[in-house]
Amino acid sequence: MWSEITKKLQETVQNIMPQVEAVIGWERGFNEIRIKPVVIKKEGDISKLVWNPFCVQNLSGYLVKSPAVIPREGRRVAICVKGCDSRSVTALIQEGFLKRDQIFIIGIPCSGTVDWRKVMKRLERSSVIHRAEIKDGRLMVEHAEGVEEIPLREILLRRCLRCVYPNPTVSDVVIGETVSPHIEKEDLYKDVEAFERKSLDERRKFWAETLSRCIRCYACRNACPLCICQDWCIAERRDPKWVTQKPTLKDILLFHGIHALHLAGRCTECGECERVCPMEIPVMFIKEKLNETTLRLFSYEAGIDSNLVPPLLTFNPHETGI
Amino acid sequence: MRIGVFVCQCGTNIASTVDTERVAQEVKKLPDVVYTTTYMYTCSEPGQQEIQRAIEEHNLQGVVVAACSPRMHEPTFRRAVEKAGLNRYMFEMANIREHVSWVSNDREANTKKAIELVRMAVAKLRFNQPLFPSRVAINKRVMVIGGGVAGIQAALDCADAGLDVVLVERRTSIGGKMAQLDKTFPTIDCSSCILGPKMVDVAQKENITLHAYSEIESVSGYVGNFAVRVRKKATYVDWKACTGCGVCMEKCPSRKVPDEFNEGLSFTRAINIPFPQAIPKKATINRSYCIYFTKGKCGICAKVCPAKAIRYDMTDEVVTEEVGAIIVATGYDLFDPSAYGEYGAGQYRDVITGIQYERILSASGPFGGHIKRPSDGREPKDVVFIACVGSRDASVGRPYCSGVCCMYIAKQAILTKDHIPNSRSYVFYMDIRSPAKNYDEFVRRAQEEYGVQYIRGRVGKIYPRGDRLVVQGMDTLLGIQVEVEADLVVLATGIEASRGARELAEKLHISYDQYGFFMENHPKLRPVETNTAGIYLAGVCQGPKDIPASVAQGSAAAAKVLALFARDTIETSPQVASVTERACIACGKCIEVCPYGAIRWKELKGGVRKAEVITTVCQGCGLCNATCPPKAIQLQHATDNQILAEIEELCA
Repeated sequence: MWSEITKKLQETVQNIMPQVEAVIGWERGFNEIRIKPVVIKKEGDISKLVWNPFCVQNLSGYLVKSPAVIPREGRRVAICVKGCDSRSVTALIQEGFLKRDQIFIIGIPCSGTVDWRKVMKRLERSSVIHRAEIKDGRLMVEHAEGVEEIPLREILLRRCLRCVYPNPTVSDVVIGETVSPHIEKEDLYKDVEAFERKSLDERRKFWAETLSRCIRCYACRNACPLCICQDWCIAERRDPKWVTQKPTLKDILLFHGIHALHLAGRCTECGECERVCPMEIPVMFIKEKLNETTLRLFSYEAGIDSNLVPPLLTFNPHETGI
Repeated sequence: MRIGVFVCQCGTNIASTVDTERVAQEVKKLPDVVYTTTYMYTCSEPGQQEIQRAIEEHNLQGVVVAACSPRMHEPTFRRAVEKAGLNRYMFEMANIREHVSWVSNDREANTKKAIELVRMAVAKLRFNQPLFPSRVAINKRVMVIGGGVAGIQAALDCADAGLDVVLVERRTSIGGKMAQLDKTFPTIDCSSCILGPKMVDVAQKENITLHAYSEIESVSGYVGNFAVRVRKKATYVDWKACTGCGVCMEKCPSRKVPDEFNEGLSFTRAINIPFPQAIPKKATINRSYCIYFTKGKCGICAKVCPAKAIRYDMTDEVVTEEVGAIIVATGYDLFDPSAYGEYGAGQYRDVITGIQYERILSASGPFGGHIKRPSDGREPKDVVFIACVGSRDASVGRPYCSGVCCMYIAKQAILTKDHIPNSRSYVFYMDIRSPAKNYDEFVRRAQEEYGVQYIRGRVGKIYPRGDRLVVQGMDTLLGIQVEVEADLVVLATGIEASRGARELAEKLHISYDQYGFFMENHPKLRPVETNTAGIYLAGVCQGPKDIPASVAQGSAAAAKVLALFARDTIETSPQVASVTERACIACGKCIEVCPYGAIRWKELKGGVRKAEVITTVCQGCGLCNATCPPKAIQLQHATDNQILAEIEELCA
């Protein structure tokens, strides 16, 4: 099934290639479960493109963040997007970072992507993977010390298990069948609600312990397609001096607070921040709380409709709800 | 930096619950603080001299005064340090009165908090930079919004002083509520006889431009340089040609148009001049009743008009007026008494409002100045007045006193007796409020000379009996139920904020209270200033008041404008946003959120875009700074570093 979609994807790209400057997609990495982004600029490379549940990366950042793939005047760049990724593209259009007519969106409905770390944990000491195949909702891995079969649901990323927009919200062409979400929309923030029922001490303890793992590598920030300050991020500047370089919990908390608040009313919950965290900190969880608040106060979800004005990007004296 | 800290005792206001000596001793230990002292009244002249002496003697580079709210005395101390040679922004104020000594009696806790606030002020001061205001020219034209008596007075005073005045009135004539009144208390002089000449003056002054039947569309700019877009609504009559002869009104076949000026007690025509003394005395077509507009054919007015002034194809016109100051005098509306079902307003035709009774009493009113019942035209013998209808009643959301009803009831009762000598008047009241000059004497006259029956108590129910009305109420002084059979009942409806007041306030960026009255800058000391520089208030739009007070405020607002215009240029505050261009990532979020339109794009070489602050338009609200992700836009005198230093100090 994945090879069929990959084939269709390659055919589609073949057809649009003359009209576009480049195609941003995914290719196989150093083994079958590790996929990496690729920018296709010539026809000969089209065969590199793949689609399968290991295509975890949200590629929309490559449209705006350095080194971005920016089309020349009157030309377009094609990009492959899953449901979640398409919301990032919409949000970038809403905020004026992208022009809709500059991009060609290849939408691919997605039933969930695999967390390779969960796979590796199941394999215990063995790290060399010879072959991996997904069939009938199970992953079969041939590795150095044998064969392991794992139900797909057990190794999906947290973001995918709570995904309610698996189908692209914006696209020029869709490849593959529409899929249904893993959860109902009203359950989207049940984790946040459950966490909030805990006592203040418990919550403080959780974040103190969890965030103390942070090494301030800024991978979460770099992976976020909507974190657009790049070289001017205040986490790495000392004027204004919001944070210092000291590895204290205070500075860590401040950094994550700033990161989350800069995404208030903007975060599309693509989960890249959390996926790339080498310390496995649930970074998106902070943003989920902000999104829950945004939804409650403004009935607004980021990256759904490019015609809407994000609630914090306007001044409206008649605003209700706050 | 060499910092001096002055801890004010404010008499006993601060010293009674804060150990000011200890505050001074403790903050002396802070780095950079080289001098501390306490003083009885730091804001007094010797107190200010003490600061200036210390600056010189100890070579201070920055000053902290721990005293009251900066709202009142920050300008005082800024001037004081400036006289001693410091930049006025090398000064910080810690509020240890409103925020500390007045809040709690716990001396220990208060002292601790006061020390913390001073430490924060010192921490911020270390990051202060000398800032310099710029100067911009003042456009010496003034706009007055609202052509009631307050607005007329303000316009005339400004015009007399030689200013160009733009007067904007929502209705087709100026005059406001006062033009509708018959007589005025406590002198019983004719309202239109004393207002009329002022209205004529407005029309005759060459330096007053009158936009009647116009509303404010939008306001931009800042003190000294406002640009106001005024929507001149279509009148369908060319006012330049119209002579006000009234032939059109006479011949108009649409005769069942409720007369707004007569409060719906009579009919007027679809094309009309609202009242004989109207300024401007020009006709206007009421589109919703005009046969030409509703049925598509008629055109009689166009045929009979000797000046050929009728323009059925007229559309609204928007003009932009550039002015340096704005006086807001938008007046009020009256409470809708149908909220009190028990009084039967709207249900019984002979239960009327105070303003309707004014029209009935007026010689130019619906009955030619003869008191008649609206139901059958019979002359009433027993008239009941009910006070506080929509005043001093939290249950209808009007807990405040309208301030004029007690007086206008007494006036109307006196006039009733004058018109119908054998009539009897009854007043149901809660308290009589008559505090101004000659007011209480006036009410006494109504009671003693005119025999008006004052019954202290509220009315519970009004119901018809035959062709009369029974007013059931309580006499709380006698402790008995009373029942009065009346021919006419007058409800003293209270004052409420003018409809559209909130929307106008938002266009002007001025504040309003929970009832929609505009907020003055200080209830005692700055009663006609708003929080927005260059915008002043006059009359009831600021809160209920009578004609003398409205006129006084109109003149007061004019005086403020004249003081502002006495200079040719005005200092603009340097406490505005400023962009660190290299850090600006051109996301444009600041432009989107700025409530004042004070940020725009600036194009650098190579098409690179950066945000740019129009400093004269910026009001320093800081929304852009809060929104800017890389904090490239900073609010001067409240920079991130200054605020962070304060927080750091507090949490240290």
